[in-house]
Amino acid sequence: MQLYRGGIEDIINIYNIVKEFLKADVYGYKRYGNSLVFDFIESSSELPIDVHVVQRPGFYRVSRGFGFIHSSHSPKNLLYPFKQELFRVDQELNIKTLENSLKPVILFGIKPCDVAAINVFDKLFGNNFNPYYLNRRRSVVGIVVEECLNPGETCFCSTMGTGPDARNGFDLAFAKVDRDLVIFKAGSSLGEKIVAKANLQKASDDDVKRYEILLEEAKRKTNLGIGVEDIQTSLEKSITDVELWRKVSEKCVGCANCNMVCPTCFCSEIVDDVVGDEAVRIMQLIGCLSYTYGLVAGGHFRKELYTRYRHFILHKFVFYPKQIDLFGCVGCGRCTVWCPVGIDIRETVKTVASRYRG
Amino acid sequence: MSNPFTSIIKGVVINEISETTTTKTITIKLVNGSMNPMPGQFNMLYVFGLGEVPISISNLYPGKRDIVEHTIRFVGAVTRAMIKAIRVGSQIGVRGPYGNKWPLEEAEGSDILIVSGGIGFAPLRPVVKYIIMNRERFRRVNILYGARTPEEFLYKYELEEYSKIPNSKFLLSIDKPYPGWTGYVGFVTDLIKYTDVDTGNSYTFVCGPEIMMKVAVKKLLERGFRKDKIFLSMERRMRCGVGICGTCQFGHLFVCKNGPIFRYSEIENYINVEGI
Repeated sequence: MQLYRGGIEDIINIYNIVKEFLKADVYGYKRYGNSLVFDFIESSSELPIDVHVVQRPGFYRVSRGFGFIHSSHSPKNLLYPFKQELFRVDQELNIKTLENSLKPVILFGIKPCDVAAINVFDKLFGNNFNPYYLNRRRSVVGIVVEECLNPGETCFCSTMGTGPDARNGFDLAFAKVDRDLVIFKAGSSLGEKIVAKANLQKASDDDVKRYEILLEEAKRKTNLGIGVEDIQTSLEKSITDVELWRKVSEKCVGCANCNMVCPTCFCSEIVDDVVGDEAVRIMQLIGCLSYTYGLVAGGHFRKELYTRYRHFILHKFVFYPKQIDLFGCVGCGRCTVWCPVGIDIRETVKTVASRYRG
Repeated sequence: MSNPFTSIIKGVVINEISETTTTKTITIKLVNGSMNPMPGQFNMLYVFGLGEVPISISNLYPGKRDIVEHTIRFVGAVTRAMIKAIRVGSQIGVRGPYGNKWPLEEAEGSDILIVSGGIGFAPLRPVVKYIIMNRERFRRVNILYGARTPEEFLYKYELEEYSKIPNSKFLLSIDKPYPGWTGYVGFVTDLIKYTDVDTGNSYTFVCGPEIMMKVAVKKLLERGFRKDKIFLSMERRMRCGVGICGTCQFGHLFVCKNGPIFRYSEIENYINVEGI
């Protein structure tokens, strides 16, 4: 694949080009005070260019620097929001649907793991037809990815095969080697057009070498040292090991933060919000770690916390592959970073694998 | 494809039968839509402002695509409203039918065994009705049905008809002795030993509380029934009916979409795992 070179100013230039050229809203990670959110980016000054984040189990801090990773937010905020109105209904059961008036959107600066998460949703909600997701997804007219040459401590995308470099499903990708060298690559004909408009030069052999050295190092850092098939088969064998699952989940408080920040967690409940003479049917996320997941009038299908934690892990590594032939975990490490007690998904899968491998 | 969530058909309750103190059967006329549900499928029933519940189809109205019937037990807010507030003439939303069906075509030419407990008989009643209407398609038929007390049986007004199905056996059980009851006392699964269908060539349909289904499967396998010919109707928390909300997952299976009826051999690795 042809690589191009530029500087930090070219990222800003490309932000302006895609906004003008595609006449779309730009949506991505942006600075908001001292924190990072995922929202509409109104100006290039909001881009997280001089931002560094430190991520560890149960720990996340934003500081000035170079090498942004991601935040608790992800493209799920846009494509599968926490709360979405499905429709309104009156007492005579007449249904009013929403106008489908989503403006075109460009996802800008999302991470390779985020793209992998979108692929998971695309396949799941293509198979299990979800008109609300597909409608939002169709509004995305372009995807610009920032590769991770300086990944987070909790990242393991290399093991999951989703990063740290952009693999597929993107139009343009960039990687910040240093302040004076940013490597760009096109992933589609749209990406080629943007590259041409930005007037980027071809990267030199030396540029490519500097990029590849950092990329190799990033791949090494994001590798768990255990194959994903090993994780999958050992998890499958562990399903009935209640003692093991109680042990790996013993610190869990059942807050469902992991579910909320996970870019592929989609489990939802549907509630009625009665406003005047109308009921608004709202779909909202419910994490499998929360007590009410599996609770029904007259019973509970997942009363014990360990069964809910086990479902979270098994769904990502064992059930998703059976459902859509893709892993549901993209190795972003968000569940570990935003776990209030720092339960580390990497430790869980390693513990299970060490007992059941082979 | 149309939006499944907004495909609510307006229904009007045209008949209600109080089955037990906590259960009633409602017949709904669909006003602005129609459906042709199959035995084993379910509908999402909607009560304005309260929400939707998945309820199995409990009767067949061949040729009448604007009539559906459901038997509802009072357990939560929505079903409470259906028992206490819904009357003949009330409006109710109907979305469906969803899920798969009992494999009645596959079972043609074979013996049939039905094992049911409590409200679990509701999704099997259309199977019994189907057998009555198409008696020549099946060989020997056994129906086992258990309830806590004689008063807890559903469809008491039809049970005699079931006992008259040619070349069949219809056995009832109650949990504890009861004045005037001369039938079997014990668990319905105990009746499996009295069945006289051909175990190697019989299709068994099971529905009831999960613990009862587990015991039933154990006893059926002990008697030599084939695990690929035992079918269970499973229950989980279903909110969408179409595999989107994710809350009915049973292992990797979406009960609403891959089920609710599962071949035992398909779920044998999951059924005894707590909270899977």
